[in-house]
Amino acid sequence: MGWFEAHSENYFAAGGSQRESLERIRADYALSLHGVGLSIGSTDPLDRAHLNELVRLVRDFAPMLVSEHLSWGSVGGRFMNDLLPLPYTEEALRHMVTRVRAVQDALGRQILIENVSSYLQFTCSEVPEWEFLAALADESGCGILLAVNNVYVSAMNHGFDACAYVDGIPGSVVKEIHLAGHAVNRVGRRELRIDTHNTHVCDAVWDLYALALKRFGRVPALIEWDADIPALEVLVAEAHKADQIMETCRAATA
Amino acid sequence: MLPLRELQLRFCAAVFDDALDAVTPWIHGDEIDAEARVSIYRHNVHEGFTKTLALEFPVIERLVGEDYFRQLALLLLAEHPSRAGNLHHIGAPFSLFLRRRFEGTPYSYLSDVAALEWAYQESMVAAEVPPLDLDTLRSVAPHAYEQLRFALHPACVLVRSAYPIVRIWTTNQQNVGNEEVIELSSGADLVLVRRADDAIEFRRLSVGDFTLLGALARDTALGDALEAARALDPDFNLGAALRRFIALGVLTGVRISASTSAAESTSAEGAPQ
Repeated sequence: MGWFEAHSENYFAAGGSQRESLERIRADYALSLHGVGLSIGSTDPLDRAHLNELVRLVRDFAPMLVSEHLSWGSVGGRFMNDLLPLPYTEEALRHMVTRVRAVQDALGRQILIENVSSYLQFTCSEVPEWEFLAALADESGCGILLAVNNVYVSAMNHGFDACAYVDGIPGSVVKEIHLAGHAVNRVGRRELRIDTHNTHVCDAVWDLYALALKRFGRVPALIEWDADIPALEVLVAEAHKADQIMETCRAATA
Repeated sequence: MLPLRELQLRFCAAVFDDALDAVTPWIHGDEIDAEARVSIYRHNVHEGFTKTLALEFPVIERLVGEDYFRQLALLLLAEHPSRAGNLHHIGAPFSLFLRRRFEGTPYSYLSDVAALEWAYQESMVAAEVPPLDLDTLRSVAPHAYEQLRFALHPACVLVRSAYPIVRIWTTNQQNVGNEEVIELSSGADLVLVRRADDAIEFRRLSVGDFTLLGALARDTALGDALEAARALDPDFNLGAALRRFIALGVLTGVRISASTSAAESTSAEGAPQ
């Protein structure tokens, strides 16, 4: 194991054994804190209580990376606790830039923003998601956590070219890659891919990962397998496969 | 074009208020229409809420069954949607929700079992605080005893029930065969929930101990708390009780104050922070 990633919100607790476990991991490994609940894209005021908890956690654990999502999850004070897609409009971009800057100011450091899997597209979107994400990174100074599985899931669900997505992200801003397994559901005559994190990474996503490595170089990659968790050997084998592909790509470009 | 806020409010109404039409005109549809696409998100929200609640209340889920638990979870979601990006808090109103729903029915005990399970959750994540030092207490002049007010460890929660909730909880753990039939009238429980070496302990208390601790938890002065305990247990031994609670790490701070108002001047007697 090279490093660990933890969901920030799981460690907001004031005390208890969970926090102690994370302290033991942090003593020996580099740590990434990955948030799922800040609702950065919401038009409600930024949740200061949530942000303060994150500031405290980042101060206590000094992680190598801190990340959140290109999404929103609450409005009018009601939280859906889900990663909902944004419309890719100029207004939404201005909003996200302001919010990401506010979070980075509060934390005193850069954050990474991750693309999410989506099951719908808004009719008012003006640009493809990768252009929106690249512009957000350029204007806010955030890095990008490129979830290769999410690129593939959304590409298949919405019929765009996953390779065009990867090619549309500037080489220098990707600081981390996520890999994961997903489910293929059938809705009427169509297939719909759902981001489930409960199985092996599929071949098409491994291929896209190799393409991403060529473009973004050697960045930390993580297998997200947080539902139907398998035996440790299975997970380690999956991580080993990711390492091997990284080594192959490095040899090819050396 | 719809402003971002308006779009989000409409999406939220579709998810929480079943108003799918509110947002579908702004969502692309093809062989999978806009309504089916929004429904995926609504389903995910329902499942995420139900799954988290089930993790927090495994005994309630086991008592009422998975299907009915899901119905209860969705009713709770409608009344008390999550108010934070951290789902942990959704279980806070569940016991009261069950009480209102089942008051006066044979299922009124469910609310008390839920209170015990929520106390378990709260105790697990509470801050760690060192126990009160006995010497601190010994340094207090006897005439000031009556005015002492104590701080309880954040991981300590008191739960009172007319039903044998500890036995119900224990019998309904995953690793225990639940063949046992429990008579609801077979006992009332006065429970101190506390954390000991990262395990959660349910400790049944005597009526005197429970009354004293309950009063102290409400920031009642020791003299009045003792009076309340003696009213229910004339033989209540205060010294023994205090030593017991300090040994268990239940009491973590003490101060002398004639008033319950925190704004009043208090003389801290070395209460550990």
